[in-house]
Amino acid sequence: MPQSKPRGGAASSKDSKYDLGKISARVDRVHVSGLLRTHNDYVMRAADGLFKADNFQDVMLEAMSTKAYLHELGIFKDVSVHIDVSRGADASPQGYEVTFKGNEYSRMMGSAGTEVGQNEGSLRTELTVPNILGRGESISLQGSYSNTRANDLQLKFWKPFFHTRFRENRPEFSFSIFRQTDRFDISSFQSTNVGYLIDFSAHSSLGVDLTHSLQYENSIRNVGLLNKSVPFGIREHCGPKLASLVRYSVVFDNRDANVFATRGILLKSTNEYCGLGGNVAYTSSTAHGEVNVPLFSGFVAQFCGRVGIVKETKQTTLLPISSLFYCGGPMTLRGFKYGGAGPVVDGTPIGAQTYWCTGAHLWAPLPFAGVFKSLASNFRTHFFYNIGNTNTFSLENMRSAFGMGLAFKFADRARIEINYCIPVRRQATDKVLNGFQFGIGYEFI
Amino acid sequence: MPSVLLSQLATANKLSVEPWPEDATLYQPYEVEQILLPENASCLAVKAYLKMCNLPFDVRTCANAEHMSPGGRMTKLPFIRAGAFIFAEFEPIVNFVEQKEMAIGNLQDEDEKADMRTYVSLVENIFTMAELYISFKNERVYKEVTAPRNGSVYPWPMNHMQNYGKRRNALRLLKVYQWNDLDIENVIEKVAKCCETLEYKLKESPDTPFFYGEQPCELDAIAFGHLFSILTTTLPNMALAQTVQKFKHLVEFCRFIDDKYFQTSFVPC
Repeated sequence: MPQSKPRGGAASSKDSKYDLGKISARVDRVHVSGLLRTHNDYVMRAADGLFKADNFQDVMLEAMSTKAYLHELGIFKDVSVHIDVSRGADASPQGYEVTFKGNEYSRMMGSAGTEVGQNEGSLRTELTVPNILGRGESISLQGSYSNTRANDLQLKFWKPFFHTRFRENRPEFSFSIFRQTDRFDISSFQSTNVGYLIDFSAHSSLGVDLTHSLQYENSIRNVGLLNKSVPFGIREHCGPKLASLVRYSVVFDNRDANVFATRGILLKSTNEYCGLGGNVAYTSSTAHGEVNVPLFSGFVAQFCGRVGIVKETKQTTLLPISSLFYCGGPMTLRGFKYGGAGPVVDGTPIGAQTYWCTGAHLWAPLPFAGVFKSLASNFRTHFFYNIGNTNTFSLENMRSAFGMGLAFKFADRARIEINYCIPVRRQATDKVLNGFQFGIGYEFI
Repeated sequence: MPSVLLSQLATANKLSVEPWPEDATLYQPYEVEQILLPENASCLAVKAYLKMCNLPFDVRTCANAEHMSPGGRMTKLPFIRAGAFIFAEFEPIVNFVEQKEMAIGNLQDEDEKADMRTYVSLVENIFTMAELYISFKNERVYKEVTAPRNGSVYPWPMNHMQNYGKRRNALRLLKVYQWNDLDIENVIEKVAKCCETLEYKLKESPDTPFFYGEQPCELDAIAFGHLFSILTTTLPNMALAQTVQKFKHLVEFCRFIDDKYFQTSFVPC
């Protein structure tokens, strides 16, 4: 029997004389072959849906979703599906046998590539040992070297629990040890974090689909200076501190695409409480939202907004400088230099305790997009208007800028923008950028 | 490199023009629970020097003083913030004061000055190394005093990591100055020799309490800083203090400076 194609099957059922939905079928037997290191119980739930199918169309659809599920388990490089009539003594008259032929990952995998962070590109190498213990447990060692000269190193162990009865919730547990450097060039300091992170993430679908992630992080944050003449207000923060924090983030996303969405809403909120032991204490909350409204002939209106607040707790002696928010730059307020729309000490910008910024976009496909269809789908033009401010929620003295530009979709996840920006309202201490601005990242305003 | 020289010149000009700032502040670690012997000695030396110069200054203690310091040759401490300028350790601070032409010991001629500088650098090197040696190389002192004090400002388990790093740096410094493979007898010998030289120098002018004539100078400040710290710090191994105590004139000198500059000042700082 040839490999089944669910969409073809579903479509053909409507216009051909054979309606596959009316052909009754029963799955007698499901084979999953190619399990060398993997334990049998790890793929047991793969067959759940198949046995419930009672017509041939369902069998094919279920087979495809099972194939996707087997991929998600993180043990197979590729999976092929075979559907055959069942034979043998105990075969039922309408019986079928479904066989999944998997090809397990090799013991060790290496990869190298580029990665896009917020306004930085980095070179990343990764070494993964998949499926160590036979139930999807994996370890990876990841190193990246970015253009801002920050080196990150991460050793991560993770275990999915997709094979348990909470399969629908996609629970996953991970533990990682990391060393990470964040450079704040505009404020002449860098923060080197060394520590570990425990993460538990799951989906919930009570009414709305949400992705939750609960993390505990324990790390040493060492603030160092990047040059000699640094304002004393920044120098005060130097030295190592121990941070112990819980972080909870929740994401709602029903957009139709990650980068150039035409409809849908993204809501994201992250809350941190730091101060469970250690000598850093603060609470931090950020919220990010994006609404896309389709207009006509490919035009999309998009509204984005972001708010962030860092607050002292009872134990706080000094708010950590590396947890403050920087406003300005291609990710937040276009038309300003990175971090250039915020408070300053002795002429050097530092982060703000609160900030908000919003953006309104009108996205349009490239002209003559129909001619170069595949290429043009990676590009969009936009007109934007950004408004934002730091350390106050009033509309007085706010910053704003408008402009237009070209955006490019990069690897289905990141966006590269080149914009011509015109700052409209600014403060005397702000560093503006009137002209072309380049931005690369995955979460824009 | 003209721009570097020019900028240095500009800095020097600026330094000499501006008067001593009112809000000059000296930063050091917590005295009671944190500071270590070598750091205490250099902080005391700088304080003594500034008091001898009669320059007003505030003392601010903070846990991360060492990390805030712009860096230096040995302990990186103390550092002083005077207006927009920040200087760390004894010699740069003394140079800074001299550029403002508010320094003491201006009476001497060039030869004597060079001579005095030699003593200053001898005292600084020998005593700082000896103090580092006893603090980090003597197992008992390290375990009972140095490690608990240095780690006192950090929560567990960061204190152990910080202690490890601090000790590694100290041992590296000892290695650079070739003190790492000495044993305690050699160290005591070196300290005794240095004390002997100092006592000899002090005896050259028997009718004045200072090393050079009627006026205190840098040598008085740094010698006092180190000798007084060694004498008054209680450690499980008192070898250094016992060595210094053998030199009665030096002990007398310390008592005199302490009385004159530290006990009498009722100005809270």
